[in-house]
Amino acid sequence: MSVLEISNIRKNFGKTEVLKGISFTLEKGEVLSIIGSSGSGKTTLLRCLNFLEFAEKGTISVNGSVIFDGDSTKKMTDSEIRSNRLHFGLVFQSFNLFPQYSVLKNVMLAPTLLKRGTPEEIEANAKALIDRVGLSDKLDSYPCELSGGQQQRVAIARALALNPDILCFDEPTSALDPALTGEVLKVIKGLKSSDRTMIVVTHEMEFAKIVSDKVIFMANGVIEEQGTPEEVFDNPKSDITRAFLSTSFEKF
Amino acid sequence: MFAEVLKALSDGFLVTLQIFAFTLLGALPLGLIIAFGSMSRFLPLKGLVKTIVWIIRGTPLMLQLIAIYYGPGLITGNNIWSYSNGRLAAVLVAFIINYACYFSEIYRGGIESISKGQVEAGQVLGMTKSQIFFKIILLQVIKRIIPPMSNEIITLVKDTSLSRVIAVYEIIWAGQSFIKGAGLIWPLFFTAVFYLAFNGLLTILFGLAEKKLSYFKS
Repeated sequence: MSVLEISNIRKNFGKTEVLKGISFTLEKGEVLSIIGSSGSGKTTLLRCLNFLEFAEKGTISVNGSVIFDGDSTKKMTDSEIRSNRLHFGLVFQSFNLFPQYSVLKNVMLAPTLLKRGTPEEIEANAKALIDRVGLSDKLDSYPCELSGGQQQRVAIARALALNPDILCFDEPTSALDPALTGEVLKVIKGLKSSDRTMIVVTHEMEFAKIVSDKVIFMANGVIEEQGTPEEVFDNPKSDITRAFLSTSFEKF
Repeated sequence: MFAEVLKALSDGFLVTLQIFAFTLLGALPLGLIIAFGSMSRFLPLKGLVKTIVWIIRGTPLMLQLIAIYYGPGLITGNNIWSYSNGRLAAVLVAFIINYACYFSEIYRGGIESISKGQVEAGQVLGMTKSQIFFKIILLQVIKRIIPPMSNEIITLVKDTSLSRVIAVYEIIWAGQSFIKGAGLIWPLFFTAVFYLAFNGLLTILFGLAEKKLSYFKS
């Protein structure tokens, strides 16, 4: 059984069709990279999965049960939306840490509000996650005291704290300068394990090549090509993919 | 004579302080409710709230005081403010409505200035709307609105003097009464000392609040 199965997702913004029928499946423990030029619909797809946007058509199933059906006439209640969101975690391009809370509090806030265990358990788990992203010495720092790379690592720990089925990254390094990109990618790579499923929207082709089990190349709201990194990067079938990859790997 | 003036002005200033404190107590929360109304996606409510805010901000507070104090009597034929302290109550009603409308616009600006990403971060972490507002947004809004709120609140201290238009004995009235009663003009000008001292205190308090929230940037 696939951990995630999405089928024929369609989304419009006004008259613009942003997603024109996206379907794919993801197995537990797989890392999926979604690549493609700006405006191809990658971020919108992630936002539909996290219910920050709502697709007009299509279905989303997690662990075999349908959690979203665009054809359903019944409107999801706030609490249904909330519980559906918890299948997914999302790390934003712009981090979006809560500025008034320390690193530890940022990671602890949601589990505390959602009553995911005793305060002691929540704190111990948060500290373990912060240690995992290499920021144990910054527990009491505030976001404004951290570099962009450090902030993004805290954001990753914060998303992990709710133990989502699928962790999504929306261009996690696009707001970082090259020197800080590496530390974040290293952390994401280190999260890869047999029971953690991840979707990474990225412009870092080398990273996508190394870390993914599966790559989707999107163009103009459709999946132009999908397959293993070897298939997509080394033997692309579509002309559009080839053109995109050649400009992406072109250095100057 | 000085002691006598001081006593009278202090009595008047006590009323000034009452108007000030009760207005804040009522207008700070009411302003938040109005702010939510003006941001509502339910258009009739939004329209109604915006119209009220337009009327209140578009007319002089002095006129509103007169309307609230004399209006009910003119319409129904009996004065609903005739009990003791009725005039003060009318002043408070007018001030609370007026200031709540001004505060609501400051709140709205503050709330809308917080990046959408903060709300979305709370949403993807499974928080409810009220948790997102109270645990994430509110403190960031407070930090941002301290400067405009301090302006408005200091204006309120001085606006209390308008209540003399419906014969509430506040400090300006107290000072003025010495002109007719004793032929003295200086007590009226001396009221400025009270205003300055109190507004100085408020300025210090707002400065402390700003400093207290300077540990984070948003």
